[in-house]
Amino acid sequence: MKNILLGATLTLATLLGQSASFAADLTFWTWRQEDKAEYEKFFKDFAKTNPGISIKFEAFEATSYNTVLSTALAGGKGPDLMMTRTYGGIESLAGAGYLMPLDKTKVPAVAGFSPAALASETMRSDKVLYAVPAASQTMLVVYNKEIFDKNGITEPKDWAEFIAACEKLKAAGLMPFANGTSTAWQNETIVSALTSSIMGKGFYEDLMAGKTDFNDPRFVTALGKLKEISAYFPDGFIGLDYASAQQLFTSGMAAMFAGGSFEIANFAKQNKDLKLGVFAAPGLKAEDEKLVGLFYDSGFAANAKTAQPEAAVKFLNYAASKEFGQVFANNLNNISAVPGVTFDSPLLAKVADLNKHSIAYMTLVNFRYGEPTGSNLIQAGVQKLLNGQATPAEVGKSMTDGLSAWYAPFKKK
Amino acid sequence: MAFGRDGLIQIILIGNSIVMLAPIIIMVISAFKTNAQIFQSPFSLPDFTKVGNLVRVWTETDFIRYLMNSFIVTGSSIALILVLGTMAAYALARYEFRGANLILLFFLAGLTLPLKLAVIPLFIQMRDLGLLDTRFALIFIYVATGLPTTVFILTGFIRSLPNELEDAARMDGASEARIMWAIMLPLVRPAMVIAAIQNVVPIWNDFFFPLIFIQSNDLKTLPQGLTTFMGEFGTDWGVLFSGLTLSALPVIILYIALSRQFVNGMTAGAIK
Amino acid sequence: MLSSKLTGRNLWIAALVVPPIAFMSLFLVYPILSAFAYAFYEWKGLARGEFIWFENFHRVLFEFPFSERTINAFSHNIFVFFALMVLQNGVGFLLAYCLWRELWGARFHRVAVFLPVVLSTVIVGLLWKLFLHPLFGAVNVSLRGMGLGFLAQPWLGQDSTALMAIIVANAWHMVGFPTLVFLAGMQRIPSEILDAVRMETESEWVKMSKIVWPLVAPSATVVFTLLFVGAFNWFELPYVMGGIDGSPHGATDVLGLYFYRTAFGSMSASAENFGPGSALAVLIFLFIAVVSSVITIRLRKREIQL
Repeated sequence: MKNILLGATLTLATLLGQSASFAADLTFWTWRQEDKAEYEKFFKDFAKTNPGISIKFEAFEATSYNTVLSTALAGGKGPDLMMTRTYGGIESLAGAGYLMPLDKTKVPAVAGFSPAALASETMRSDKVLYAVPAASQTMLVVYNKEIFDKNGITEPKDWAEFIAACEKLKAAGLMPFANGTSTAWQNETIVSALTSSIMGKGFYEDLMAGKTDFNDPRFVTALGKLKEISAYFPDGFIGLDYASAQQLFTSGMAAMFAGGSFEIANFAKQNKDLKLGVFAAPGLKAEDEKLVGLFYDSGFAANAKTAQPEAAVKFLNYAASKEFGQVFANNLNNISAVPGVTFDSPLLAKVADLNKHSIAYMTLVNFRYGEPTGSNLIQAGVQKLLNGQATPAEVGKSMTDGLSAWYAPFKKK
Repeated sequence: MAFGRDGLIQIILIGNSIVMLAPIIIMVISAFKTNAQIFQSPFSLPDFTKVGNLVRVWTETDFIRYLMNSFIVTGSSIALILVLGTMAAYALARYEFRGANLILLFFLAGLTLPLKLAVIPLFIQMRDLGLLDTRFALIFIYVATGLPTTVFILTGFIRSLPNELEDAARMDGASEARIMWAIMLPLVRPAMVIAAIQNVVPIWNDFFFPLIFIQSNDLKTLPQGLTTFMGEFGTDWGVLFSGLTLSALPVIILYIALSRQFVNGMTAGAIK
Repeated sequence: MLSSKLTGRNLWIAALVVPPIAFMSLFLVYPILSAFAYAFYEWKGLARGEFIWFENFHRVLFEFPFSERTINAFSHNIFVFFALMVLQNGVGFLLAYCLWRELWGARFHRVAVFLPVVLSTVIVGLLWKLFLHPLFGAVNVSLRGMGLGFLAQPWLGQDSTALMAIIVANAWHMVGFPTLVFLAGMQRIPSEILDAVRMETESEWVKMSKIVWPLVAPSATVVFTLLFVGAFNWFELPYVMGGIDGSPHGATDVLGLYFYRTAFGSMSASAENFGPGSALAVLIFLFIAVVSSVITIRLRKREIQL
């Protein structure tokens, strides 16, 4: 019954779409179930300036979203508009021809976006943009301000201070970090969140220039320091999954959480009384530039085969507008990729500020284009490292060797 | 000597029953506790009047919707399996015709085919049939996977029924359809119960196919909904245990009420 | 007259047989045959490309990194099979033997042992995951409570215990099944035979190994075959307890997870590889089909000789 109705609506919508008046029903898919209310507001705002276009929000579980989306698109049952992932994640969709190619004539505003943002939604083979970048995420340390204040701890300026702060918290009977690593991808986030400053900009630049690989002492040192600071993770953290780790932090049992800025909204929702702060984990010395890891996590794309291409493009233009970027930042507590957006929330403003000194969250940004992915390798490697089954140098070597299967600059060596 | 032997056996059995039941009991009592109580004294008895966790699961989540979906999908699948399974089994058991053995073999071969591994073509097929993200996708899959065992159980049973009634009816000029419907099928009912139970548990509990074929939250079945819900309430163990308890309850109650049929039903394929 | 009656009868039979066959062909046999065909194509996302012969098979069997993962996952399946053979079928046989004596309370124990079997694997997995939580799980809390805190482990986080923990959860879940199948087998042993044996020996061991075991062999065949198929199709429990990546570092990876992850990708690490995924599915299927028929035929032969 529902299907017949849906079919009828669709036919009707197609008919109406062809007539001069602009009436369209679009579907929008995302993995962010928790943002439903906000998106429905955005869609209403959008309908105000674009009368007749209504958008229906549908969310799917984050872990199976890609499967659901790519299978639905392949099945011709995909949505008109969708939130897409980035980097390797968009190539499988764009490469199969499911996404509408975008350019400056379609969405003029993308010209103002940062090159890093555009790169996240561009397919490498045809250099075409397939989605309007939505948000960036920052890998950093989130901390519980009350706990820090109570124990007289301030944001650490160098590694020794960082360790001293952990010691102090431990002595006070608290868990310095909430992190657990039994959920595989948490092993990747902690590397970027805790050691970007130790790796340094120089390492990332050399890596991208093909001058070095993961055997580089700067990377190996970083992993060594990660191992050192993991002593301040909870007892049995290697058996602690992601949800439990978040729980330790939001319940106030732990002082810090090393992870992505995407945690902030979630933490605030779980425990409204939590006073949060963020900082970039320091380098070895106070004069080392403090860096966060940066990546773009999502974008807005249109189905290449949508029955309503004009309406879909209208929405993408809206999604690239400063107006949208601003409400997106204000209501969803995310760092919008739209240039010129300002942040009401001091916390978000701080994150945006930290982003000025960043290197890419490289295993995701640069090494997810072939098998084995950099993510596969670093997740397994760090899990071994933290379980005491591999040395930092061995992890670096396994990453370099593994990636040499498809990453050209490593092949030559 | 004899007492010692029986005593040992009693100890093994009692020990085993404790191991079997303790996790389920802990699950149920934890549903009535707060986080602090669960973490500090997992085995203490709670105040059973504190049903706040259960109420939260009932009201703040889509639990009821998932439950209804599971009922609809499982119920329709079982009904269809029994109808189709009985048809095939009746033909194979009561009539001699060319190709009968081949057809039986065809159904038996289905017992060994792990459909999970064919999920990719199945997906594309469902897309072509326009069944993606509908309950029909699940129902048809469950019927196809449930038919082999059902045909197997029912054929054996229907074969064992006596011929006299049937022959007498045929003498009276009753049509084949009437003989099947009015005379034979009432006799098959016990075997149908066994076949139904054999299928109910795996279908009710299936997690894999909904994961792939169902996308709308409105259509999710209980096991699938449960994983979504575990993510949302990850910090509140009382609610988690409540969700698990409520999901387990329908099957547990059914099992305790019908334990003999359950055991017969679920082991029917393995015992001949 | 005769022929028309025959056609009528045939039509009736066809009307009974054709719908179920159609259903099974459409939703079971056809997809499996297609899966075989798909494995020979190149895939871009879910769009089919060129026919590439055995390249996908070559990749999953012989090319890095797939070959390594295939071997890793496959060896875990083998381990799971043997571990469950002992923990599930072995214990099941023992329990059946105990229940068979019909001592006081046997009915209760029979109901208890089968209770977990009716629970959903997802519930079992989530439940045990909570129990095995390193800080607050019932297992570690009770170990600490008994003064055995040094035995408390991050069970699901270290490769030395993770796979075993999931296996134990599986055994807990399913042990009732072999138990009751064996019990049914034992109950069918004619009492004359047992009486005759009781005259000759008092030894429980002799009775079990010489009489009971051979006579329940048909049940054993079925139970072993089902366990084999189950162990190599293992998916739900490791998915819920170890995650799609077979965490930690592949220590709980099995063919089912690996197939799913390869075919559909994993959001947090890699994109989908449909071609190699299809090839894996075919290999797993062939392996299960061949080995389970060999097991069945060999065990059946043994039954007859006895």
